Amino acid sequence: MTDPHATPERPALISPGYTSGTVTDKISEVVLKKTPRWWYAGFAVAFLLVMMLLYAIAYLFAKGVGIWGVNIPVGWGWDITNFVWWIGIGHAGTLISAILLLLRQHWRNSINRFAEAMTLFAVGCAGLYPLLHLGRPWVFYWLFPYPSTMGVWPQFRSPLVWDVFAVSTYATISFLFWFVGLIPDLATLRDRTKNPAARIIYGMLAMGWRGSARHWHNYDSAYLMLAGLATPLVVSVHSVVSFDFASGVLPGWHSTVFPPYFVAGAIYSGFAMVLTLAIPLRALFGLQDFITARHLQNMAKVMLATGLIVAYGYMIEFFLAWYGDDPYEVYMVANRALGPYAFQFWALIACNILAPQFLWIKRARSSPAFLFVIAIIVNIGMWLERFVIIVTSLHRDFLPSSWGMYHGTIWDVATFVGTLGLFAALMFLFIRFLPMISIFEMRTMLPEAKVEEEPK
Amino acid sequence: MTTREQAGRSAADYAPPAALEAIRRGALLTGGVGAAAAILGFVLDPAQFYRSYLIAFVFWLSIALGCFALSTLHHLSSGAWGLMIRRILEAATRTLPFLALFFVPVIPGMRVLYHWARPEDVAADPHLQHQALYLNVPFFIGRTALYFAIWIGFALVLDRMSRRQDRQAGGEVRGAPRDPRLTRRMQMVAAPGLILYCLTATFASIDWLMSINPHFHSSMYGVAFVGGQAVSALAFTILVTLWLSRRPPMDVAFRPTHFHDYGKLLFTFVVLWAYFAASQLIISYQGNLPMEVGYYRTRTHGGWGTLSLLIIAGHFALPFFLLLGRDLKRHVGGLSVVAALLLVMRWCDLYWQAAPIFSPDGPALHWLDAATMIAIGGLWIGLFAGQLARRPLLPVGDPALPEALNA
Amino acid sequence: MSRAPRVYGLMAEFRSPQELVDATEKAHAAGYRRMDAYAPFPIEAAWEALGHHKSRVPLLVLIGGIIGALAGYGLQYWVAAVAYPLNIGGRPYNSWPAFIPVTFEMTVLVAGAFAVLGMLALNGLPMPHHPVFNVERFALASRDRYFLCIEARDRKFDPVVTRNFLKSLGPTEISEVES
Repeated sequence: MTDPHATPERPALISPGYTSGTVTDKISEVVLKKTPRWWYAGFAVAFLLVMMLLYAIAYLFAKGVGIWGVNIPVGWGWDITNFVWWIGIGHAGTLISAILLLLRQHWRNSINRFAEAMTLFAVGCAGLYPLLHLGRPWVFYWLFPYPSTMGVWPQFRSPLVWDVFAVSTYATISFLFWFVGLIPDLATLRDRTKNPAARIIYGMLAMGWRGSARHWHNYDSAYLMLAGLATPLVVSVHSVVSFDFASGVLPGWHSTVFPPYFVAGAIYSGFAMVLTLAIPLRALFGLQDFITARHLQNMAKVMLATGLIVAYGYMIEFFLAWYGDDPYEVYMVANRALGPYAFQFWALIACNILAPQFLWIKRARSSPAFLFVIAIIVNIGMWLERFVIIVTSLHRDFLPSSWGMYHGTIWDVATFVGTLGLFAALMFLFIRFLPMISIFEMRTMLPEAKVEEEPK
Repeated sequence: MTTREQAGRSAADYAPPAALEAIRRGALLTGGVGAAAAILGFVLDPAQFYRSYLIAFVFWLSIALGCFALSTLHHLSSGAWGLMIRRILEAATRTLPFLALFFVPVIPGMRVLYHWARPEDVAADPHLQHQALYLNVPFFIGRTALYFAIWIGFALVLDRMSRRQDRQAGGEVRGAPRDPRLTRRMQMVAAPGLILYCLTATFASIDWLMSINPHFHSSMYGVAFVGGQAVSALAFTILVTLWLSRRPPMDVAFRPTHFHDYGKLLFTFVVLWAYFAASQLIISYQGNLPMEVGYYRTRTHGGWGTLSLLIIAGHFALPFFLLLGRDLKRHVGGLSVVAALLLVMRWCDLYWQAAPIFSPDGPALHWLDAATMIAIGGLWIGLFAGQLARRPLLPVGDPALPEALNA
Repeated sequence: MSRAPRVYGLMAEFRSPQELVDATEKAHAAGYRRMDAYAPFPIEAAWEALGHHKSRVPLLVLIGGIIGALAGYGLQYWVAAVAYPLNIGGRPYNSWPAFIPVTFEMTVLVAGAFAVLGMLALNGLPMPHHPVFNVERFALASRDRYFLCIEARDRKFDPVVTRNFLKSLGPTEISEVES
């Protein structure tokens, strides 16, 4: 394979002058040196939010889901919105680590590790919501097929049961992918830390990794296989999430284009979150040499492309609502655009469709500050999108006498902000204790890693 | 010959083989015979002619149009895979003006094909009256004209830029220094081209095929149509590379790694197509609404049910398992067998979408189905071969070509 | 107990992957078989230089995927048609379109588990201790140094001859690996 990153048009992905040794030192030093002060400050804030989350959950357990704004007719509110939002964010991590690996896009090597961590934590946050929403979360294990004394089994024609399988498989495979990727770097930390306790912990986690040719060979193969499995998996997970809606016959939910359109939306919001995290992190840790302007530009392009697919989804849904001539579908469209949730709807159009159009301009793509703003806007827009899809379809459906309004309560907000804190806290722990950039994959991109193949 | 030597070669070394002329003549002749048969069929059974003709037209158009989509994708992703087949894609897109002419016979057939084009049907159906704002004869023709104008316009602009790139290089693979702005400009054309392609192909699929089935509508339809076009175009391209790689000059240019890439891409497209088709089925099955389930009910019973199973096996299961391993993908012969199977399945899929409305109890194959396929196919392949013969078989002016040759 | 060699092997240290691959090729040509090449990142050429080719991981993944698919569909069929049949909107008990998603998820889950566990098993991990760790400089194998270790178990191994052979490959250092 030829060197993909050395043409004059495309600048290198690692700034010149680095060697295998200095790359190793630079990345592992983030973990091995003293904790910076801002880390304590940031972690403290995140930790407080986690406490708030625990408080909100404890109160929920005591009182029941009535403390949230959900009620008939709107039985899904902020909770399921947050579930879909978080799980969508997770998808970009898998996309970066798996799909870009298969496509041999080497620019991924410096962002895949923390993107995978982001996936894992986002899926954790997402998983909380359906469980909390159960009403009796302590019997969540009823969701799984097991020979219970009651003699009942899950109903496998229900997309909610598919969701259990999809999300738990996704969490498991994401963890395995992340952990397998970490093994060689854990060995590096084991060999480099001076703290005996850390050496033992990293050593146990590295499982005796020696970096022998046999290790690497099987490792490469397994890693590629996992990437090949994770790619369709990530598509399937959000497709199954979209089935949760599309399986129903509710206007605005039952649309066959939902699976690819949801997947594109997930990647869209996920890349927005990667940018939201990467732009401050690279500044704080001085990692501009590894997460370069080209990385940010590429991610901006992915955001633009997936944003356009999302726009296609809105367009075709609206057109076919008219084409199908179903009065409920037509009303749903009118209600979204002009009804009581019109503000949320137009805000989502502005955030998801208009804002990213700036990314056509190269100067906009090359400004980290501007990209950060766009990324935040897209994060908000994608949250609103799920909110609008869920709430506007539920609050006015077939029977006008049963129409109602929905508003989140302070507990909805507390739970949502609490999961943001949980996500941030886990992220802080991760960047403190594990290498946030894959060291061994960075080494493979250095010029010194080249081996001339002998003619056979 | 090693690839390093290849890099020093010039456009003349990639001149199309003379055998292409024989292909062109043979194809045009076959197409002419097919056309004569189709005209005879039109005299005998005009309704059947239109039904067969529409499917054959969409089948061949899908290849050329899919090639256009792949070429825009190639400009935007700038990978080695696209450079090696760019000339094939471009030759196919240059046939689009002729394909616009091939659409003309559909126009007198609209009354036969579409319920909404028959005033007596519209008068009896309030649903069609509602749709008449969109589904009416002048607007239908106007839209199709617009689609073709967009496709032809973008295809020709990209094609001219590609030719200019060749000239700038003076016909040398490592010739004069290139103007990198041209590559960027091609990307700037390709991006809106791809977006407009997705929109127009969606509406074309709604107009030409989906509206055959009154009352049926599915928002996945256009997406699945685009996915099918990607399969068609890539399968056809692989068959052309098979032919080219068997003789000079391309026998030394194509390497197993290139075919490996096409194999992976074909695998991806097959899986994507299956994903679109399965998602539409699952959602319709779950929702159980008459409008959608009726569509599937016809297609899962009797002869149509058999055809459905055949499509699942031939359009997904078999290619999936064949393309899963590494060895077949690197071997152009094996890859071509899969590609040929998929092209057959593309026709079956289009037939499965459009024909059941005319014979709900089961497929009623007619000799005109074959005659129209041969007529359009022969003429189109003749045009394609003529276009392919007009340029060097590799974009010698592209700065990334030496890298692609070494890939 | 059989007489275990007190020396695990001899280890040569190199500065670049190219040197490591060249040295491994020469050692293989010289008839050494029980050896391994250590590097801080994957070098496919080193594995080939050791005289190996294919990995068995893909086969394991395929087996895992087939098991997962059969188990996934089988579970749903058994639950929906045998153990707890329910009429859901008039659909047949064996509603195969509705069983696609879970079948797919189970396929990926089991195949993925086979990939990871298979990789660990084929690599003999976890193995917290290994003789090569006794060499102090081996810690650099996870940073920027490359090592070739010829084991004492090798038929051709001889403490003096092998050391001289390794010396001829131009390493920066040669160390004895205690067992």
